[in-house]
Amino acid sequence: MSGRRWGGWPGVVAAGCTVLVVGLQGARPSASADVPPSPLYVTSGPLVQRLALSFDALVADIYWIRAIQHFGSTRRSRDPGKQYDQLYPLLDLVTTLDPDFNIAYRFGAIFLAEIYPEGPGRPDQALALLEKGFAARPDRWQYLQDIGFIHYWWLQDYEAAAGWFLRASQVPGASWWLETLAATTLTQGGNRDASRQLWQQLGADADHDWMRQEASRRLAQLDALDDVDRLGSIVDAYAARVGFPASWDEMVAAGLLPGTPVDPAGVPYALEAPTRSIDVSSSSPLFPLPGAPPTLPPVP
Amino acid sequence: MTAAIRTQELTKDYPVGFWRTRRYRALDDVSLDVARGEAFGLLGPNGAGKTTTLKLLFQLVFPTAGRAEILGRPAGDIAVKRRIGYLPENPSFYDYLTAEELLSYFAGVFGYQGAERTRRVARLLDTVGIESERRLPLRRYSKGMLQRVGLAQALVNDPEVVVLDEPMSGLDPIGRRQVSDLILGLRTEGRTVFFSSHILTDAERLCSRVAVLARGRLMSTGRIGDTDVFGIRGWELVVANVDPVRLDRFRTEGVSVRPIADDRVAIDLGLETRPEQIASELVAAGASLLAMNPLRDTLEDYFFKTVGRANTDDTADRFDA
Amino acid sequence: MSPSPVFPIAASVFRESVRDRVPYNLVIFAILLMGASYLLGQLTAGQELKIIKDLGLAAMSMFGLFIALFIGIGLVSKEVERRSIYGLLSKPISRAQFLLGKYVGLVVTLVVNVGVMSVALYAVLGYMAVTESEDFKRGWEAPALDPMLIVAIGLILLGLMLVTAIALLFSTFSSPMVSAATTLGLYVAGHFSDDLRHLDQSVDSRVAGVLGRLLSYLLPDLSVFDVKARVVHGLPVPFDEVAWAVGYGLVYIVGLLAVSILIFNRRDFK
Repeated sequence: MSGRRWGGWPGVVAAGCTVLVVGLQGARPSASADVPPSPLYVTSGPLVQRLALSFDALVADIYWIRAIQHFGSTRRSRDPGKQYDQLYPLLDLVTTLDPDFNIAYRFGAIFLAEIYPEGPGRPDQALALLEKGFAARPDRWQYLQDIGFIHYWWLQDYEAAAGWFLRASQVPGASWWLETLAATTLTQGGNRDASRQLWQQLGADADHDWMRQEASRRLAQLDALDDVDRLGSIVDAYAARVGFPASWDEMVAAGLLPGTPVDPAGVPYALEAPTRSIDVSSSSPLFPLPGAPPTLPPVP
Repeated sequence: MTAAIRTQELTKDYPVGFWRTRRYRALDDVSLDVARGEAFGLLGPNGAGKTTTLKLLFQLVFPTAGRAEILGRPAGDIAVKRRIGYLPENPSFYDYLTAEELLSYFAGVFGYQGAERTRRVARLLDTVGIESERRLPLRRYSKGMLQRVGLAQALVNDPEVVVLDEPMSGLDPIGRRQVSDLILGLRTEGRTVFFSSHILTDAERLCSRVAVLARGRLMSTGRIGDTDVFGIRGWELVVANVDPVRLDRFRTEGVSVRPIADDRVAIDLGLETRPEQIASELVAAGASLLAMNPLRDTLEDYFFKTVGRANTDDTADRFDA
Repeated sequence: MSPSPVFPIAASVFRESVRDRVPYNLVIFAILLMGASYLLGQLTAGQELKIIKDLGLAAMSMFGLFIALFIGIGLVSKEVERRSIYGLLSKPISRAQFLLGKYVGLVVTLVVNVGVMSVALYAVLGYMAVTESEDFKRGWEAPALDPMLIVAIGLILLGLMLVTAIALLFSTFSSPMVSAATTLGLYVAGHFSDDLRHLDQSVDSRVAGVLGRLLSYLLPDLSVFDVKARVVHGLPVPFDEVAWAVGYGLVYIVGLLAVSILIFNRRDFK
């Protein structure tokens, strides 16, 4: 009696479906079927990933929000001992949970390397992040470009930078100007015009407002550097004759300048009597100009 | 004409226990027949296997051996379920539904739609007398009302055979009367009624044939009057104002005389006596005859006699260890 | 030919879900979404669209899981415990039809709930599409009213239907507590399918590796229904992948239902 109840069409269907399920698993179309799980990092990324189940993307968003807030609040803070120590771990977590989180990589590229106290001053972390990004998304030439940018701007290693720009230019879909940039970098690395070109292109290709703003700021700083040079020669000439000026009014009165010189942000330049040099005012948004010796973050 | 219900050597074992499963024999080799249009009572004490028998008819449980048939089709046959109805023991449905909604739901399961469905539901509610409370949720119903709703859902499809499990259990006298009348009504309509009970008087009023189940076994089957189970074994005279001397004489003759209250007494006379004669004797001597009742064995008396044990619910016996 | 008894049973499941106040979740969902979209603008450097989409899809997934789980584990066991099952099974309805009716009812409940949540999500996204500047929109990886979202939602729904079938299976023979624990366990395990398949890469024992691979083939692979991240980033989801997931889901569901019927068919209702 009970034997009969075990069989019948439900049993056949169940058996058939089991076979089909196993067979289907073997015949999975997507390439991700046999991709090994993400490599282990020192962070707790993989653990979080397992805990997040299918809500990886949402958790990545949460960490991204935290990364931005951490960066913003630390930057604004006046605490002399402030640390950006959370920034890289958070960005790393975001990109482990969601390897396609493009903006996290770009943000890291720009701001992780930013010299203290504007940023953590860790170009090595920025490079690690970008390399991770490119490993996950080999179609993202922008990450290679950013690596090149870091070598150029922060590490002043122009040969390496040119190499990275060249590699970037070889990724299908890369911007046409990367090859030119590589060449320019190689020949004129450090030259202000090359830098100007770099920032102009970064600004034109920017994904987001803040990238554009950063590019504008950098270009303004480059202009300021030009200004400082020109002003410097005028002031030097005056100093040789009369002595270092006490204020710009002196120079204006002497007819050497049409008015108080202001930087691209509209803030008057500062005369540094002790060093006999000219710089942007410390109250200017362009302060400090690139090329100033970096300050190290305080030991925690 | 095929029997309305037929069981052949129906046996049911239940596995009991988690690790060492023993088997508990709920039904053992039960064979009975219910003819069409008959009202049949399945009697027995609690634990006898009555509910199991009824559930086997609807394949709510599966037999270990033997078979059951309803209207010539094997138990559990979907087509034959269109022609039969079932009232489970202590029915409980969906207590957040109203009676109307419940019956409408079941009518939908049968496939009745639209106007036909509404008509049936209204008629059912009317038949069982739940007209005024039909919009109340079932959780507000009394036991008697629930039982009547249960009866109604068993009749949704106008069944030829109605199977009722302890239809009058737990009811107050009014409820019992109401349900009893409804069942009589089913009989009058020509339906076959098969119900289980442990109360003999219910069977007496409602059915023509009975089967007695005890400890999973069929003890006897037959017309109520015929079986020795329910045979009359004596008479009880309830009289008042009897001359005490006469009462003493009864006692010395070995006749049981039980005082009831005031000066009323109950005199138990054996089957061989002529109770009407003794009654008229006493009345002639000035007593008043209040009642003359037949004395029957209760089911418990019967089991006590035939099985010879004090405890009729000796389920331990039916385990195979 | 009278209509199948599957439908009244399915309808009763849906009605009971309404009675159990399941739709109130939808109100919470809608409020959550709109509140979040308002706040997030201040916080995320231009990522509101992505976050709204992620939030919407994730919440849909989670609410759907709750519904599938909490109603699914009681689909059969509640009827048996209430003893109302006698009234039903004594009617002309096969046990298979009873189970299918319950399943269809819960699926309908899920479809309605997910559908309403989708409409709410699209409403918020539509608002963003209309109010944001063109400049801003250039930064979006995928359009606000992306039709691929429907694919993501559809697959979420299919995954929920599979979880429902699992819950129904356990409901046919075990108590709600055990059903809940096992179903939830399988849900979690279903997301580690890839890890199981590649167990041999992180574990030394060969037996464990083989076992892991075998389990990964048999256990329900729920990660195939999760294309949320790709859709939100505007990345392509190839058609054959979607078709495979749909086929896999349907076959698995049918198999689970068949096993449920198999078990339920031989149950005694004491």
